[in-house]
Amino acid sequence: MSNYLLKRVLMMFLTLWIIVTLTFSLMHAIPGNPFASESDQLPEQILANLRAKYHLDEPLPVQYFMYLKNLVSLDLGPSIKSDSRNVNDMIADGFSASAWLGGQAIVIALIFGVLFGIIAALNRNRALDYIAMALAVLGVAVPSFILAPLLINYLAIKLPLFPVATWGTWMHTVLPSLALAFGPIAIITRYMRASMIEVMNQNYIRTAEAKGIPTVLIVIKHGIRNAILPVVTFLGPLIASLITGTFVVEKIFAIPGIGKYFVDGIFNRDYPVILGTTIFYSAILIVTIFLIDIAYSLIDPRIRLTKKEG
Amino acid sequence: MEMDQRIDPLFRPLTKDNQAAQVITRPSLSNWQQVIRKLVKNKLAMLGLFIILFLVVMALIGPLLVPYSHSDQSLLDRNKEISAEHWFGTDELGRDMFARTWSGARISLTIGVVAALIDLVIGVTVGGIAGYMSGRGKKGDRIDNLIMRVIEILYGLPYLLVVILLMVVMEPGILTIIIALSATGWVGMARLVRGQILQLKNQEFIMAAQVLGAKFSRILLKHLIPNTFGVIIVNLTFTIPSAIFAESFLSFLGLGVQAPAASWGTMTNDAMGVILTGDWWRLFFPGLMISLTMFAFNVFGDGLQDALDPRLRD
Amino acid sequence: MKEHLLSIENLKVNFKTYGGEVQAVRGVTFHVEKGETVAIVGESGCGKSVTAQAIMGLIPNPPGRIVDGKVVFEGTEISKLPKKELLGIRGTQIGMVFQDPMTALNPTMKVGAQIVEGFVRSQKVSREEAKKRAIEMLRLVGIPDPEQRVDQYPHQFSGGMRQRVVIAIALACNPKLVIADEPTTALDVTIQAQILDLLKQLQEEQELAVVIITHDLGVVAEIAHRMVVMYAGMVVETGTVEEVFANPRHPYTWGLMRSLPRLDESEKQRLIPIEGAPPDLFNPPVGCAFAARCDFAMEICKQQMPPTKTFDKGHEAACWLHDERAPRIDELVAAGRQD
Repeated sequence: MSNYLLKRVLMMFLTLWIIVTLTFSLMHAIPGNPFASESDQLPEQILANLRAKYHLDEPLPVQYFMYLKNLVSLDLGPSIKSDSRNVNDMIADGFSASAWLGGQAIVIALIFGVLFGIIAALNRNRALDYIAMALAVLGVAVPSFILAPLLINYLAIKLPLFPVATWGTWMHTVLPSLALAFGPIAIITRYMRASMIEVMNQNYIRTAEAKGIPTVLIVIKHGIRNAILPVVTFLGPLIASLITGTFVVEKIFAIPGIGKYFVDGIFNRDYPVILGTTIFYSAILIVTIFLIDIAYSLIDPRIRLTKKEG
Repeated sequence: MEMDQRIDPLFRPLTKDNQAAQVITRPSLSNWQQVIRKLVKNKLAMLGLFIILFLVVMALIGPLLVPYSHSDQSLLDRNKEISAEHWFGTDELGRDMFARTWSGARISLTIGVVAALIDLVIGVTVGGIAGYMSGRGKKGDRIDNLIMRVIEILYGLPYLLVVILLMVVMEPGILTIIIALSATGWVGMARLVRGQILQLKNQEFIMAAQVLGAKFSRILLKHLIPNTFGVIIVNLTFTIPSAIFAESFLSFLGLGVQAPAASWGTMTNDAMGVILTGDWWRLFFPGLMISLTMFAFNVFGDGLQDALDPRLRD
Repeated sequence: MKEHLLSIENLKVNFKTYGGEVQAVRGVTFHVEKGETVAIVGESGCGKSVTAQAIMGLIPNPPGRIVDGKVVFEGTEISKLPKKELLGIRGTQIGMVFQDPMTALNPTMKVGAQIVEGFVRSQKVSREEAKKRAIEMLRLVGIPDPEQRVDQYPHQFSGGMRQRVVIAIALACNPKLVIADEPTTALDVTIQAQILDLLKQLQEEQELAVVIITHDLGVVAEIAHRMVVMYAGMVVETGTVEEVFANPRHPYTWGLMRSLPRLDESEKQRLIPIEGAPPDLFNPPVGCAFAARCDFAMEICKQQMPPTKTFDKGHEAACWLHDERAPRIDELVAAGRQD
């Protein structure tokens, strides 16, 4: 088991390193430079000083290693555009909003997705199934950046049930979370439904019926328990799409999260910010996927026990 | 045996008709016929197909149906609602939304399809080589392993993130968008193809064909490829909407095609500024088109997948 | 007349499919007494599994349903019972052993828990008592080290062991009847022998009635007291195993017996199959379903269903050859036996 763990951890660092290198190379392959917009206004000497301050005048490999060195001590460097702000601070700043948004969205997606999937599977080819599947299709078809304005328009402007934008109270979090969760709900519903249908067709369900167990108990103890396992494996990619979803949602709802800094950074060509937030996101994603894999191997007795003996 | 004339005619022995016993009463259909039949019966999937065809046709002829081009500005006609002259209304520079929507369709659909096709070509090649090489001696296994490692690592990178980064670096334009989208998009297809080939290679009917003396190239052509075909096509119907989605996403972040050309994504982005002023048509039409496209490809892909699934055969 | 433990009377079961309605079971009648083993034999698709599942109402509806006939258990017509009462019978009065041990167990649930799941419901016992019962059952079916095994998961057991677990599940509540659907088909011959021995032993110890579905005449000879031969959804012959083996009275049974390889034949002797294939049950033939493949078919066989004739010792067969108007049965039987 520990052999496997070790391999996974190494893979994690390898992937992370590749992302860092990739992002770094890309950033510095751009013909423009972050001071392009100011270069008309500032005298040459100041520009040179600025470049020196951010080490932009050093040869590329040097810059690279300096960056790596800083990374190891978890220092993501200063932002170029937002003077006197460290990228670390910006991330820490925006973290709570983004984390809350993402976390709430995942919880909503899981609860409703699993529920709808089970309902659809148990009512296969009847009305409830069609409704659930219709919702699922809508969720896949309507991207969050279209859904979000619609939600704002109908639930915040026409019917002032929720605040229009920004962040503050829990009410502020509802619409953005919904916009973010809609797609994932759809995907989880489909997966759960397929998984549930497959499980309910298995022979051990017949065995349970032959024991005289009532249907409700069969669905819970034998059905859901087995059907939910494959859905767990899907959480990883789901979180990835959730992360990218936050860029859009934070921008539209003007939420002060990391996504906003990222999007602004792209717009401003603020390299350290882009680099830093990318690495941060990737790290979170990779670690989360790793944890999910571990969790899965603990939940499924077939894997847990054979690993121990193997 | 002699039969007595006293015997009741009903009890006379029959000559056994072996042929009759073997008759199969239900006609069996060929494989592809069964698949198509099943697909056609799926009304939702057919709806999806219809929408796709409709969008393609409109993308071709739409801009020709109105006298405006997508870039004709008319400051007098700014932000007009839908009317007889402007079926989809106008935007803040007085450009006709109908023309823009359908010329945008050309761009969005082209990007989506081309990126998906490139993904397909690269993915099938890489996945095919890996699957083929696996098990063919040490050298073959090493090649397969190498490819697998690369695929695994690329798969671990968050797709949209990489696409965004690439677009930040390159000059936005249709070509660069396509390159960015297909740079890592092929990985999913490669994985699927490799997996399918590995699975097929181990199946008994392949061994049976080999035992019967078929050469590997023949096995490849007659058995491996047709069976992989289904998986490839299904994957294609899902990568196209994912590419279109990615393009809209990019445009939303300002990294998409540049003005005056418009894709549905840029139009949506432009519409963000006016959601509060009630110019609903600005968001409605590009949004509707994106949603329809995603919907259509997804249900059609689902239907295709269902039709090809051997377990769901009646 | 003494009441039978289980009595199936003219059972008919149909299935709705995209191609129409399939008549899987077309009027099956037989009975089982306390403490005896009845084997239902027939080829794939003859309706034996469907019959077995129909006994406990396990036919999924849709697409299947019982269109006629009844199942009577200890005097009660269980085919008409409401679901709640049916649940009370399943597991506690009648147990079932399914065919494939590899998939018959829930992979994420401990074996002990699966064994006593039904028991706990009907008896409302404490967890310790339930666990004791599970260990007891494991020991009963011959699984070594039951105290350890009771907390293990199915994938930690071999195929033969799993089948024993399945049997333990069927017996956990001390049912009066166990239906075993091809319990040994998926197992090695040596394991098969062990499982059959186990079943025989349990039957003697607990006066258990067993209905065993199989296509293997060897299993029938090994374990059954009486046998029911099915073809195309109907019963063609019934009787004690000795009688039917020694004195078969239906051309299909003749074919079955004849197709068995025999130790006393020379190796050069070709095996004799029954030519042809079973009829399509979407449109079953009006007359005897076996007519198309029967060496002795007559005009009337194509037109009307043969009546069931009773011979002594409870031996029954449904064939027009036994009608007095048919050509001399002895000559045909003798000719049939010699081929």
